[in-house]
Amino acid sequence: MNNYDVIVVGAGNGGLAAAANTTKAGLKTLLLEKHNLPGGCATSFRRGRFEFEPSLHELCGVGTKEKPDDIYNIFASLGADVEWRYEDTMYRTIVRGENGYDVTLKAFREPFYDSMEAAVPGCREKVKAFIELNDKCDAALDYVAKKNGNPNPLVMIFKHADFMRCASHSTEQILDALEMPEKAKNILTTYWGYLGVPTDELNCLHFLSMLTSYMDNGAAMPHLRSHELSLSLCDVIIKNGGEIRYNSEVTEFLYNEDGSIAGVVANGEKLYAKEVISNVIANNVFARSDAKKIPERDVKLANARTFGMSVATIYLGLDATADEIGIKDYTVFVANDGNARAQDDNRLNYGFYIVNCLNKVVPDASPEGTCQMFFTMPLNGSDIPKDLKPEEYKKYKNDLAEKYIRDYEQLMGINIMDHIEEISIATPVTFARYLGTPEGTIYGYRTSGWDNVIIRNQSQVKDNGIKNLCFCGGHGILGDGYSSAYKTGEEAGIRVVNKLKGGK
Amino acid sequence: MASKISKLSPADFLKLEPERENRIKEASSQALQHEDSYHPNQIANALHPDVQHLKVEKVDAFSDDVKTYTLVADQEAGTDKIAYFSAGQYLSVRLKVGSIELTRPYSISSSPKNALEGYYQLTIKRVEGGLASEYILDNWAVGTKVSVSAPQGVFTYERLRDAKVVIGIAGGSGITPFRSLAKAIHDGDEDCSLILLYGSRTKDDILFLDEFNAMVGDKFKLVNVLSAGEMEGAESGFITADLIKKYAPEGNYSIFLCGPQAMYNFVDKEIEKLGLRKKFIRHELFGEYRNPEKESDYPQEVVGKTFKLKVVMAGAVSEVECNANETMLSAMERGGVLAPANCRSGECGWCHSRLVSGEVYVPTRGDGRRLADLKFGYVHPCMTFPLSDCEIDVPPFKA
Repeated sequence: MNNYDVIVVGAGNGGLAAAANTTKAGLKTLLLEKHNLPGGCATSFRRGRFEFEPSLHELCGVGTKEKPDDIYNIFASLGADVEWRYEDTMYRTIVRGENGYDVTLKAFREPFYDSMEAAVPGCREKVKAFIELNDKCDAALDYVAKKNGNPNPLVMIFKHADFMRCASHSTEQILDALEMPEKAKNILTTYWGYLGVPTDELNCLHFLSMLTSYMDNGAAMPHLRSHELSLSLCDVIIKNGGEIRYNSEVTEFLYNEDGSIAGVVANGEKLYAKEVISNVIANNVFARSDAKKIPERDVKLANARTFGMSVATIYLGLDATADEIGIKDYTVFVANDGNARAQDDNRLNYGFYIVNCLNKVVPDASPEGTCQMFFTMPLNGSDIPKDLKPEEYKKYKNDLAEKYIRDYEQLMGINIMDHIEEISIATPVTFARYLGTPEGTIYGYRTSGWDNVIIRNQSQVKDNGIKNLCFCGGHGILGDGYSSAYKTGEEAGIRVVNKLKGGK
Repeated sequence: MASKISKLSPADFLKLEPERENRIKEASSQALQHEDSYHPNQIANALHPDVQHLKVEKVDAFSDDVKTYTLVADQEAGTDKIAYFSAGQYLSVRLKVGSIELTRPYSISSSPKNALEGYYQLTIKRVEGGLASEYILDNWAVGTKVSVSAPQGVFTYERLRDAKVVIGIAGGSGITPFRSLAKAIHDGDEDCSLILLYGSRTKDDILFLDEFNAMVGDKFKLVNVLSAGEMEGAESGFITADLIKKYAPEGNYSIFLCGPQAMYNFVDKEIEKLGLRKKFIRHELFGEYRNPEKESDYPQEVVGKTFKLKVVMAGAVSEVECNANETMLSAMERGGVLAPANCRSGECGWCHSRLVSGEVYVPTRGDGRRLADLKFGYVHPCMTFPLSDCEIDVPPFKA
C-alpha cells in the first residue's frame, strides 16, 4: 500500500513533468506537494474579477503544431491539453540617459537581425555570426550525443572548436571577441535577467540557447495562465493512474543501510519507493535527511553553490484597457544603464525592471474593459533588509511597488495608478512562503561561471551521490526557467523509467 | 567573421571540470541549514504560520449573545508569538462540536498593534441555529484552547488602490473589521480616513459605541443608522444612496461593506445608484452560502435529495452523506471528515479539490475558481453542491 515505484517530491514544473512521464510509462507513481495547488511558480491567483499570472513572462522552445519544439513536444507527447498563445515581438528595451535607446526586437532570425541593424547600423553581420554560433553548438551537441557522451577529442578540437569556446567563455567574452559594438552588446544581452546572472559571468552557450529558442519560435503563453500548464500535467498523471497528494510536505527522507534512498515521510506516514525524484532543492532534501547518509561531496557541492536570483513582482488589475492606458507592448525592459552587470548591481536603486501586459498576448486575460500588468525586478532574498520586521513588511512592499509604478508612469507618460482595481505584490518572502526555497530563491542555484549548465551536465553522475535519488527543476542541470524545469523533469522521469523497466 | 573568436582558447573547455571540482573540494562540509533559518523564510513563517495555537485570556460579554474573546499565544501548545495582520483580515477558527470538526472565519476585531502586544480579539454574535457561534458563546471560557489559521483575507485598505477616504458600511456583527480599521487609523498604522455608517436595529444593539465615540476625530467619523427606534445624532432607516451621498466627501472615496446577506442585498442596489467604479467598492466575504435552490439556474428536480459523497484524502477513502442544499464542505464536516477551509465563501481556494466524478452546482456569485479549474474539473467544496452521487479528492487539513 505504501510502496511505490517512484515518489516524486514537489509538484513544480520539474516534478509534474517527471511524474507525468513515469505514470505514462506505467510506473506506480506518487507525487507529493506541500502546497494545496500544483505548479510551484506555475500557478495563478485571483483577486476580484482578475486572475493573475504569477511568474511566467514567456515560454521559450514551444513552437507550434506545424513546427513543434521541445516544450510543445513534451506536452503533446504526454497528451497534456494546453492552448498556446504566441507573441512574435521578443522585447522592447528602453535605456535612459545619454547613451540610451528605445529598441523593439522582432522574433525570428531575419526580422531580429533587421531590428538590430536598424538600432545599431552596421552590426547585422556580427549579430548574425553571434546567433549562428548557437547552430554550431547544436551541431557539436548532436555529435556528442551520437557518440553517447564520449566524443573524439580531436574531432571536437578540429570541427567543434567554437562550441568549446562558447561552452567555456562568458557571453560577453564571446561578444567582445566578435567586436560587437557596445550598444549592440547591451541590446543583445537584455534577456540576462531570465537566467539571473549578468552576461559577463553567464556562460555563452547557455545564454545563446535561451536567446535563440525565443527567437526561433517566438514566445508562447498558455491561454489560462500557468495554472493551465500545471493542471494539464496533473490530468496526465491522474488519467494514467498516478496519485497526487497536496498539503503533504515531505518532512523526512528515509535511507537504507547502504545509503540508498528508501522513501519519505509525509503527513506522518512512511512511504517507500524504488526511486525518488526530487523537485525540491538539494539543500532542503539534505536538511530533512540523516546527515550521516549524505555523501561528503554532495554536501560540499550544495555549500559551494550560491542561491539563484529571486524577484519582486507587482501584479496590477487595471480598470481600463491597454489601449486606453496607452500600453503598446507585451514586454518592456527598462534600465538606467544598458550594461547587464550595472543593471544587477543597481537592482536596489530601481535601475532595472520588466513590465508586461498579458492582454497583449492573451487578449481575454482579464474582463472586457480591463487589463492586467505585472512589473518584475530582480530582488534576492538577501536583499530584503536584515532588520525588516514582519509588521513592517507590508509597508516595505507597498513602497517598493509605488516607486516602480511611478517611475514607469513618468517614463511612458501614462497613468496607471488611478486605474488600479486590484494589486498584489510578491517578493522573495512570498516565494519563500509558496515555494519553500531557502531565501525564497526562484532560480535554484546561481548558474555562475564555475557552476554553469555545461559543466553541470557533464558532472551530473558525480553530482548525485545518493543512489536511487535524482533531482529535477530550476535548480537542476539546465538552470532556471520553465522550459529548463520541464526538460529536466522529463529527463529524470525517462531515466527512472529506463532504469526500472529496462531499455537504454 | 566567426574566426574572430579564434583568439579565445577552446582548451579552456578542459578547465571547467577541474575548476568546479576544486570549488567543491574547498567548500564547507557542514550540514545544510533548514530553510527556516533564512530571513525571508522567517518573515514568511511569522506572517503565515500553518496554525496558531491560542488560548482564551479574557471574555467580555456585551450580552449573552455577543461576546468579545481575547486570545493569546499558547506557548505550551507550540505558538510563541501570534502573527501580525492588516485590519480587515480574519482568522479561520477550528472547532470540534461533538463528532463534527469544522472551521469558521471570524474577522479580527482588535487592532494590528494589539497583535504586537500579544493578543487578538474576536467578537462573536449568536446566529440562531448557528453551530459554531452557539458553540463558542456557550463553551469558550478563560483558559479554553483554540487553534486558528494565520490571518487571512484581502478585505484590507490598500493605499495604492483605494481612495484616501473609506466609507465603511457595517451591519450588525459586520462591525468587527471596522473596529480593527478604526483602531489602526487611531494608532497611526493606516493612513486613510474612515467614515463609518453603522447599521443597527436599535440603540441597544450598537457594539463598541463608547469606544468608537472616543476615537472620533479628523480621520474617523461615526454615523449610527438605526432601523428601529431613535437616538440623538443617529440616522433612522436604512443605508441608502442618499445617506451615503450625505456623508461622502468631495472627490473619490472607497466603499467597504461588511454585514449580513440581507444588508448586501439592499445596500448593493443603493450603491449601484452612485455609479462608482468597481475599484471603489469592496465587499468582505459573503460567508456561508445557503439555499442554492433559490437561484434561477438551479435544477429544481434535485431539491430535497441526499447524495453519497466519496472523499479521497491523501490516499484514505471515506464516504459521507451530502444533502442537495448543503455544501460538500459542510457535508464532510458533518460526516467527521476534517477538510481544509478558510473563507468558506468560494473565494480563497484553500479547499481546492478535484471532482473525480459526479455532477455539481456552483452558484455563479460564489464561484472563485480559476479558469483552468473549470477546464480540468476542480471545485471549491465550500461553494459546491452535489447534483448526483460524487467523488472528490481533497487535500488533508494542514496543521
